[in-house]
Amino acid sequence: MVRKILHLDLDAFYCAVEMLYDESLTDAVFVVGGAGARGVVASASYRAREYGIRSAMPMSTALRLYPDLVIVGRSDGRYSEKSREVMRVLHDLTPYVEKISIDEAFLDVTLLPDDGAAIAARLQKRINDTFKLPCSLGVATNKLVAKIANNIGKAKAGTGEPPNWIEVVPPGEEAAFLAPLPIRELWGVGPKTAEKLAALGVKTIGDITRWPEAVLDQQFGKHGRDLYRHARGIDERPVNTERETKSISKEITFDTDRTDGVEMRRVLRRLSDGVGRQVRKSKLKGRTVSIKLRWQDFTTLTRQITLDHPTDSDNEIYHAAERLFMQNWPPGKPVRLIGVGISGFDEGQRQLGLWDDVRTIEEDQRLQDTLDDLRDRFGDGTIKRGSDLRREP
Amino acid sequence: MRVAVLQENLAKALSIAGRAVENRPIQPVLSNILLRADDARLQVAAINMGLGLSISTWIGAKVETEGDITLPARTLTDLVNNLANERVDLTLDANTQTMNIRCGTTVSNIKGISAEEFPILPEGGGGDVAIPGKVLRDMINQTVFAAAKEDNRPILTGVYTLFEGNTLTMAAADGYRLAVRTAEIERNFAEPLELVIPARALAEVARIISDDDSEVLFSLPDDRNMVMFNIGNTDVSTNLLEGKFPDFAAIIPKNYSTATVMYTTDLLRACKRAEIFARDSSDSAKLFVQPASGPGEPGAVRIVGQSAERGDNEGLLDASVEGEGVDISFNIKYLIEVLNVIPDERVVFESSGATNPGVIRPENRDDFIHVIMPMSTGR
Repeated sequence: MVRKILHLDLDAFYCAVEMLYDESLTDAVFVVGGAGARGVVASASYRAREYGIRSAMPMSTALRLYPDLVIVGRSDGRYSEKSREVMRVLHDLTPYVEKISIDEAFLDVTLLPDDGAAIAARLQKRINDTFKLPCSLGVATNKLVAKIANNIGKAKAGTGEPPNWIEVVPPGEEAAFLAPLPIRELWGVGPKTAEKLAALGVKTIGDITRWPEAVLDQQFGKHGRDLYRHARGIDERPVNTERETKSISKEITFDTDRTDGVEMRRVLRRLSDGVGRQVRKSKLKGRTVSIKLRWQDFTTLTRQITLDHPTDSDNEIYHAAERLFMQNWPPGKPVRLIGVGISGFDEGQRQLGLWDDVRTIEEDQRLQDTLDDLRDRFGDGTIKRGSDLRREP
Repeated sequence: MRVAVLQENLAKALSIAGRAVENRPIQPVLSNILLRADDARLQVAAINMGLGLSISTWIGAKVETEGDITLPARTLTDLVNNLANERVDLTLDANTQTMNIRCGTTVSNIKGISAEEFPILPEGGGGDVAIPGKVLRDMINQTVFAAAKEDNRPILTGVYTLFEGNTLTMAAADGYRLAVRTAEIERNFAEPLELVIPARALAEVARIISDDDSEVLFSLPDDRNMVMFNIGNTDVSTNLLEGKFPDFAAIIPKNYSTATVMYTTDLLRACKRAEIFARDSSDSAKLFVQPASGPGEPGAVRIVGQSAERGDNEGLLDASVEGEGVDISFNIKYLIEVLNVIPDERVVFESSGATNPGVIRPENRDDFIHVIMPMSTGR
């Protein structure tokens, strides 16, 4: 059966949400992001994009491009709430929804009677009307082509206004649609692959189809076989209704570089608590704890350690993170960013220990539950660790 | 230095000593292997300062000129492994510290570092206790697998070793399981002697012991707190771990509510099948012990491994079950590891419920016992 897959993207989502709350932003050249010296653009309004401002751009660069730029601080709560409401509408349409990020999802609408384009148009109108949010859709027979169609469609729409576009690639025209596009549009083609492909004289996706599978396989391994198929618009991956959480992490960029080990360990403690809390909320337990350190020159180090059992405990996450930090931080070296993460999740099974004191484990868990509950009800600042109360002079 | 050896012997010696070479040592010379020629033999040795482990082995050689040198372990081993099984001539150019290696029509030169920069290797100890090679190998293999691999609790990366009277006891535990093995030895220790020997070093000892090694000579700790094993032409010396090994006698269950006898190889195979599917769920597999439904009927053990994504496996084994039925989850890898080192035809599994320690031991033998903690499902 030929599938009908939609790729939906909420246009400049953070900006669009902010405009709902503040009418004065309607025609403003503005971005959402951090205003500090190290702020980064999280989302750029379509007016701002006219000046070359893009998301992930350092705020200083954005201000250079447009000195009168209006900077709106992030209010993450608003975005996740709106995102949840939109996702609910998608789920009304079909249970086969794969949420990719806060503002992006795939839908498999194969089982609905109408053709893909009509379903997309109806869905777009509903999101426009209900939420006053612009959105663009790509319609195709698989995820790969639907996503690329959406990118290409939005680019065609012109600047200054949200595209609110629908791009349809009819069944059978996938390869022809992809052929003229630059290879970087394909998933999994990063700078390295692009370079190797360029060496083969490959510039467009169509160029890839001129190489036999065996050559691509030899040059790129399994990735080469994917290239062979993707370039022809073949992609059989299903829409994953339950996207697995692969990792949970928290990080912080300091406003000025830090060199104080005591202070950084305190930050690690706080980040670990945050990671632990989210792990427990997701009812997961992870086996691998990682830290991330970014130095002054922006080089970034990540190190991880695998525990002998999965954990969701703040303490265990912190102890592992602290150990990694002590092993990898040359004392005195300025740190720009520090982060803690956990991955390697499996179901909540606990290996009992020979010397476990059952009472201690239960008490620890009760304490953890109480803390989580207090933070849920009264906010993150309610309960602090003693280590956070001490301030160095 | 000018010597001739057989390729086969040199390759074997390098594979034995090479196990002690550190991966990323602080000093370059520590990634080298020491070659020292004297008295019609060639010493091949390596040392791992991080682990406090050194391995020295000697092979027969035609020595024309004595001498010594250290050569990069990786380069030397890779080269020797790819030489023909013929005579190898080693000639050292003392001025450039370069070893010329000839074998058949192949000529190689490997740049070395002076042996003077190599740490001093522990000298051969007195060989205070003689232990039959096979017995020691079994004792090590039946305990080291249960030692901790991480160094969260460094003492648990070692094997507790106790000489007391005519009995040698070895025990290892990683916090989730415990393996204890005992054997009789000839020498009598009126005063008990407790040591904790790094599992990593013992694993090397077990690997080196061959069926030809009738006995291993064990030298008790010297003033540097090191012990040495002499196995044929090879010496393994290691630092001891410092600290108190946790009390394990107290955690060996004294009684049980279910005892189940099964054929070892059947159980092992069933566990291996379940493990294929258990990989996705923390290696947790479930054992359902079912007593006989009536007189004359056999009892049974059902072993289930499940993966939400990939499917499941269920195996049913005949078993002699004494006591009540029990459903219990284990890390199936732990079960496989212990069953792998039990050569006996049948094993006994004793349990007192789903959250209490279980016991695995060979039937009709009391010199080996394995305690294993279950997994609890859910918080």
